[in-house]
Amino acid sequence: MRRKSKWLALLLVLGLVLAACGDGGAETTTTAGEEPTTTAGGGEEPTTTAGEEPMEIATDVGVDLEAGTITIGLLSDLSGPFAPLVSVINTGHEIYWADVNANGGINDLQVNLEVRDTGYVVDTHVQLYEELKSQVVAFGHSTGSPQTVAINPSLQADGILAIPLTWYSGWSDPAINANLVPHGTPYCIEAMNLIEYLTLQAPDATTIAIASSPGDYGEDSNAGAVLAAEALGLEVVYDGTARINPADEATLAEVASGIAGSGAELVWVTTSPTAFGSVYGQTLAAGFQALWSGAGPTWNPALVGPDSPIKDALARDFYVSAYYAPWAADSVGNQFVRDLVAEYAPDAPPLDYYAEGVIEAKIMHQALLAAYDAGDMTQAGVLAAAKSLESVTFDGLAPDETYVGEPNDRVQRAVFISRPDPEGLAGGTSTGVSQVESNYTSPLAAGFEFNETCFQLG
Amino acid sequence: MRGRPLLHTSYEADQALLNTTAKRVMLGVFFLIVISIPFQIIPGLKFLGEDDWLRLLSTTAVFAIGALGLNILTGLAGQVSLGHSFFMGIGAYTAVWLGGAVGGPLIGLGLPIWVWLPAAGIVAALIGVAVGPTAVRVRGLYLAIVTLGLVFIGEYFFRNWNSLTGGSQVGRDFPRLQVRLWKEEVPIFDFTTPANWFGVEVSGVAKTFLLLAVFALVFTLLAKNLQRTRVGRAFMAIRDRDIAAEIMGVNEFAHKLLAFGISSFYAGIAGALLASFVTRVIPERWDLFLSVQFIAIILIGGAGTVTGAVLGSAFVVLLPRIVQNFTLWLQSVATEGDGILSSIANVFVATTPEDFGLVNTFAGVGPGLSVAQLNLVLYGLLIIGFLIFEPLGLYGIWLRIRNYWKGWPFTY
Repeated sequence: MRRKSKWLALLLVLGLVLAACGDGGAETTTTAGEEPTTTAGGGEEPTTTAGEEPMEIATDVGVDLEAGTITIGLLSDLSGPFAPLVSVINTGHEIYWADVNANGGINDLQVNLEVRDTGYVVDTHVQLYEELKSQVVAFGHSTGSPQTVAINPSLQADGILAIPLTWYSGWSDPAINANLVPHGTPYCIEAMNLIEYLTLQAPDATTIAIASSPGDYGEDSNAGAVLAAEALGLEVVYDGTARINPADEATLAEVASGIAGSGAELVWVTTSPTAFGSVYGQTLAAGFQALWSGAGPTWNPALVGPDSPIKDALARDFYVSAYYAPWAADSVGNQFVRDLVAEYAPDAPPLDYYAEGVIEAKIMHQALLAAYDAGDMTQAGVLAAAKSLESVTFDGLAPDETYVGEPNDRVQRAVFISRPDPEGLAGGTSTGVSQVESNYTSPLAAGFEFNETCFQLG
Repeated sequence: MRGRPLLHTSYEADQALLNTTAKRVMLGVFFLIVISIPFQIIPGLKFLGEDDWLRLLSTTAVFAIGALGLNILTGLAGQVSLGHSFFMGIGAYTAVWLGGAVGGPLIGLGLPIWVWLPAAGIVAALIGVAVGPTAVRVRGLYLAIVTLGLVFIGEYFFRNWNSLTGGSQVGRDFPRLQVRLWKEEVPIFDFTTPANWFGVEVSGVAKTFLLLAVFALVFTLLAKNLQRTRVGRAFMAIRDRDIAAEIMGVNEFAHKLLAFGISSFYAGIAGALLASFVTRVIPERWDLFLSVQFIAIILIGGAGTVTGAVLGSAFVVLLPRIVQNFTLWLQSVATEGDGILSSIANVFVATTPEDFGLVNTFAGVGPGLSVAQLNLVLYGLLIIGFLIFEPLGLYGIWLRIRNYWKGWPFTY
C-alpha cells in the first residue's frame, strides 16, 4: 500500500502542476488603493426631500430597513482567465458605492456588496448563485456568457435581476433577457461599427480576414463581421472563426499564417490580448501589413507597454474598440471616475476598467432608486424597476441606455474608438490609448435591424 | 451468537455485506438522516436543508458515484488512472445525444431518462473496455501517462465537435432530471420543480437531492458488494501482486479490462448526472483538474475503501464552502471586533488593500491570495498530510476512533 501511495503522490503533484500551467496568466498585476469598507458610516446626509411622508416599502431579500442596508451580489471571476480585468471592475463597484454610502446611501440605506469568486467555472457560478440568491436583492454583475446562460432559468424562476458582464448580443434578445439588463454595444454590432470605420480609413480596401476564439464572444463578434463584410462589399479572404485557442500555440500559428497568406487589407480579430499579440506579431514577422481591429476585450494596454516589441507597429495598424470612454477622456463621466479613484483608491493606477464597474453600479443605483420610489424593494420589485428604466445616463462615460421599447430601439449601437498610444503610456499621460471617436455609430450599425441574437448559444 | 458480533459461524455471515448489527443500524440511521435533511427536522442540521447547501450535498452525491468508480479501478485493482474525467465527459455527451432537445441546432433525440442514464454508463464502459487493451499492457506511471493522454484527446474532441457539445466555451443544455415514459410533453415526474408532498412543500433542489442521494446509496452498495465477490477479490489480488494473482488462476488481462469497464460505467453515470444537475456544461469542464480532484478524493478518503470514497467526496466538495465561510467569519471578526481574537483574525485576512493578510476579502485588487487560491493550497497540504500521516485517509481516522471506543475504557 505504501509504495502505491508514493506513486500516487508523485502523479498527483504532476497532475497539479499540469493543471496549474493553464492558469499562469491569471495573476493580477495591479494594486488598488485604500478603500473604506462599504459597511462603514451612517447616513449623515439624508437626501430625501423634506415633508415627504415615510411610505411603506415592501422588502423580501437583501434589503433590511431596520439595519438600513441593501445587499448586492457580484458573481465575479477573481481566479480564472478574466481575473485581472474583473478585479479592477470590482474596485469600480467598491469606489462607486463607497461614494454613494458616504453621501447618504440610497435614501439612508447603506449599500453592501457580497462578492463571490466563480473562477469562470459554470458549476461554481451556479452554486454561488444559489448561495447568494437568499442574501442579495439583485446581482450587480454576472461574469461570462455560458455562466449567465446557466443561471438564467433560475433568475427567471426566482424573479431576480442580474447585469451581465459580457457583451453577447443575446442579452438584448427578449427571448433571453427577461431578467437581465445589458449595457454597451453587443459584439456583433461592435464588429459592424469597427469594420465600417476601417473601410473609411482605407477606402480602397476590398478584402478582409476574420479570426476569433470560440464561444459567444468570438462567434457573436464574427457573425457581425460577416454581415458587415457582405454589406460593405468586402471579400472574406480568410475565415478563422472560432479557430483561436489562446492556450494552444499551434492554433495561433495556424491563424497567423492564414491571415498573412490571405493578403487581406483589413483584419478583424476577436480573442484574448495575449493571443492577439502573438497572432499579430507572427503576421508582422511574415511581412504582412493591414489595418487591424478587434472586439473590446481583445485589447490590453500591456500590448503597447515599454517592453513590447510590437508597440510601434500596433500604433500604426490597430484601432481599439471599447464600450466606454478611456480613462483620460474628457467627459463629466470620466472626470467622475477619476475623482472616485482619487478619493477612495488614491494609490490605484489609472486603468480604463474602473469605468465598467462604475457603469454597472450606476445602472443598479438607478434601479434601486426607482424601486424605492415605487415602494417595492423586493427582488421582483428591483427587477421590475430596472426593466422600466427609460434612460440611464453616464455623462459621456458610456452611451446612455434604455430598457423600454422594442429590442431594435433599445439595443446599444455606439462604441468608443481609440488608437494605441505607446508614448502616452510610457510618459504616464494616458492608459495606452488616445480616443479618436466618442459615441460612434457607423451607418451600417445604425441601420442594422436587431430582433434576435446574432449567434445562438445552443 | 448474541453479544459477540465478531464471531462468525458461517462463511455467509463472515462475508455479509454488512457483517455486524452496528453497521446495519448505522447505515440505516445515516440514510434516514440524509433523507431528512431537506425537511429540516433535525436541530443543528437545519441549515443543510437550504437550497445552496442541498446543491453542495447533491454535488457530493454525484462526486461520490464518480469516486466509487475510480476507487474500483485505482483502489481495488490498483490501476492508477488520470482519465476519469474523460469517461465522465463520454457519459455526459452520450446522455445529451440521447436525451438532448430535439429540433434545435444541436444533436439530440429527446429520449427519456431511463434510456439516456443507463446508456451514459454503458457507452462509457464500452469505450473503457475498448481503450483497455492498450492501457492494461502498461503499469504504474506509464498507465498514468496513457490515461492522461485520454483526457487531452477527449478534450480535443469535446471542444471541436460543436454539433454535439455546443462548442468550446459555449456548451449546451443537458437533459433535466425528469421522468417520462417516452417523448411526451409533460414529464410524469419532475425532480427539478417544487411540489407539495402530503402537505409538505418540497423544493426542486430538495427533490434533486433526494434522487441523487438514492442513486449514491445504490451505487455505494453495489461497490461495497463488488468487494466481496470473486471479481472483487481478484481485483485486490492483482493490486497486491499481479504475478502472484495470475499464478492463483486470476486472468489478469480480463480482470483489468473488467475493472476499466466497471470504473468507466460509474464515471459515465456520474458525468451524465453532473451535467444534468448543473444543466449547462462547457467542454472544458472535463479537464485534467477534474481527474485530479477524483484522485484527491480517494486519497483523502482512503484508497481502496468504499466509505473513504464517500467521505472524500464530501470533504473535497464541501471544503471550498467551509473555507469561504471561515474567511468571511474571520473578516467580520477582524473588522468589527477588537481584542486578541480580532488581532489574530487580522493576520489571516486582508480587509483593505493596505492591510497585511494571507487572504483578500475585499472586492478589488490586492496582494494576498484569493479564497480560490487558498483552497488549492489547502488541497495540496491536505493531500501531502494524509499521505504521510494517514495513508488510509479519512477512513483510517474513522477506524481509529472506532477502535478506541470499541476498547473503551481500556486502550487495548
